[in-house]
Amino acid sequence: MSEAEHSCAEHCGIFTIGGELPIQGAYRDICYQPLRDNIWTASEGIYRTIFLEGNRGCIAFDTFGTPGTARAYQQAIGRVFPKKPVHTVVYSHEHLDHCGYAADLAPDAKIISHDYANQVILGRQSDGQMPAHETFLDERKSFEVDGCYFELIYPGLTHGDGNIAAYFPQSKTVFMVDTVADGVGYTTLMDWHLTHYVPVMKRFLTLDWDLWVPGHFWMITRERFIEILDYWERMFDFGQQAIIDGVDPHDWTGLNTYTDEKLGPLYSKEFRYYEYGAMNLSRYMQDYLTGGWGIEGNLAPDTSPL
Amino acid sequence: MQENRGLFTLEAAQAYLAIEPEMETQQLSQRLYCVSDGQVRTIFLEGERSVIAFDTFGTPGRARAYGKAIAAAIPGKAIATIIYSHDHLDHTGFAADLAPDAEIIADEMCAKVIKLRGAQGQTRPTLILTGQRNELTLDGVELVLLNPGPTHGSGNLAAYFAGEKTLFSSDTILANARYGFMPDYHFCNFIAYMRGFLSLDWDSFVPGRYQMTDRAGFEHGVDFIDAVMEECQKAFVNFVPIWAYEPMKGYCIGQLAERFGDLEGFEDHVGQMAIRIVHHYLMGGWGLEDTPQPRVLLNDLVSL
Repeated sequence: MSEAEHSCAEHCGIFTIGGELPIQGAYRDICYQPLRDNIWTASEGIYRTIFLEGNRGCIAFDTFGTPGTARAYQQAIGRVFPKKPVHTVVYSHEHLDHCGYAADLAPDAKIISHDYANQVILGRQSDGQMPAHETFLDERKSFEVDGCYFELIYPGLTHGDGNIAAYFPQSKTVFMVDTVADGVGYTTLMDWHLTHYVPVMKRFLTLDWDLWVPGHFWMITRERFIEILDYWERMFDFGQQAIIDGVDPHDWTGLNTYTDEKLGPLYSKEFRYYEYGAMNLSRYMQDYLTGGWGIEGNLAPDTSPL
Repeated sequence: MQENRGLFTLEAAQAYLAIEPEMETQQLSQRLYCVSDGQVRTIFLEGERSVIAFDTFGTPGRARAYGKAIAAAIPGKAIATIIYSHDHLDHTGFAADLAPDAEIIADEMCAKVIKLRGAQGQTRPTLILTGQRNELTLDGVELVLLNPGPTHGSGNLAAYFAGEKTLFSSDTILANARYGFMPDYHFCNFIAYMRGFLSLDWDSFVPGRYQMTDRAGFEHGVDFIDAVMEECQKAFVNFVPIWAYEPMKGYCIGQLAERFGDLEGFEDHVGQMAIRIVHHYLMGGWGLEDTPQPRVLLNDLVSL
């Protein structure tokens, strides 16, 4: 490992505290495995992404969320394809924990993102997050890059801004970050646009695929995708009922008691239920108490087939 | 009778929507009053011929109870004007039940969100304000309405009353620590905007929830959120498992209890606040509102 990999003079995202940030430079082992055809997947245990083998180089989706993990990701790709450098990076969306460190992954690569994601990236000016070189506004756009075919799909508002899926019709595979993943994680559903989320995600069921690669943890099947969406859809009624029943969305103990009683019998075996079931409920309650958040949270979702 | 239902779709919500709680009214000056249902708080003013009400409370029943409290405090004068502090239904969702014929004043972003939302009972504004400072005279009452930028919700307006040396700002700073998961807060510029209010001459602060406080209490509240933001960054430095409630709660209590343990609700809420704020640094803020020079994504899609 080179000296630079231990450096504390790291890109610091939007941290404002001074001094060294050793976690930014910390190395994390990246696991990787072939998925289908030219598609590989990589994970450090919590975050997951994909990369593609091209004729001359590699196409990396996302960067992981620190300079140290971005470099580890680059090294992992280099182990699999030592003679094929990363020449293209595709951002799934604009959040730093997935796409914050292209400057450490592949500073000379061409970066592709949705226009909405890039608008936020340009405004954010986060240290280490490079703006895109190519953006698009279409709902669905085909790419042929270095022998790799994929479609980038912006289905509508889901999580973050400009959150796109990568669809590989020849491999019946979809990669999309921070939307449907196994279990009931996602804390309080950070930066989710709840009004849109379920109907927009159901649009993917109009495509032909049987393998879903999420941005966290493991891959899931089409059937599991439907089950998870059903949980999120039913939470709308649970959220309303909790308000009617007098639950305070800021009372942590009360939230957990209510969640265990009402949701536990149905969902307590779901991955991370005990960590996040109460937070999920609190977030859904807020959608009825406050209304959706901002313009993004109140636009009418597009439910037409993709 | 069917109540205006906001965004509720369950029929069972009707009873919840209809409840009319006791309201507690307090006269702050000859013309300025504040009122609370025990949780949400707002203000209203006596004009020469009418009443100017801020906000509506968060259900039809609460809006009616608010109307009765106003009528008891200022008998014989109708509510001619409602000013929306921001777009959220729990504060401004039910003008249709408070005063359906009143003129409604709001910031442009608040008005756009309300138009899109189409919540039943949340009447659309009739007078739209833009910019950071608006000075109005309504029915003999001089008002200064301030929108420094994205703080909480959309188009959040504070009201400054120089004569009363009073500031009203809804769901920004509280007199306690009961912030919960800090829904729809925009953190990038929040502290700077709040400290900006301290350039004005006031000594009494009316928050959108819970009890009133003074200038020192407001500064303590700003310092508290600022400190949580700093400790959330230090949580990364100290390898705290930032996604987990209990470790974040324990870490923040350990770091902040000495300075802020006096705030009511500190131990019950600082963990929730930390979970929210630590994700600000993990993810990078949410949307264009939460960037150094804030704008609003998709703003151009909505006309008024």
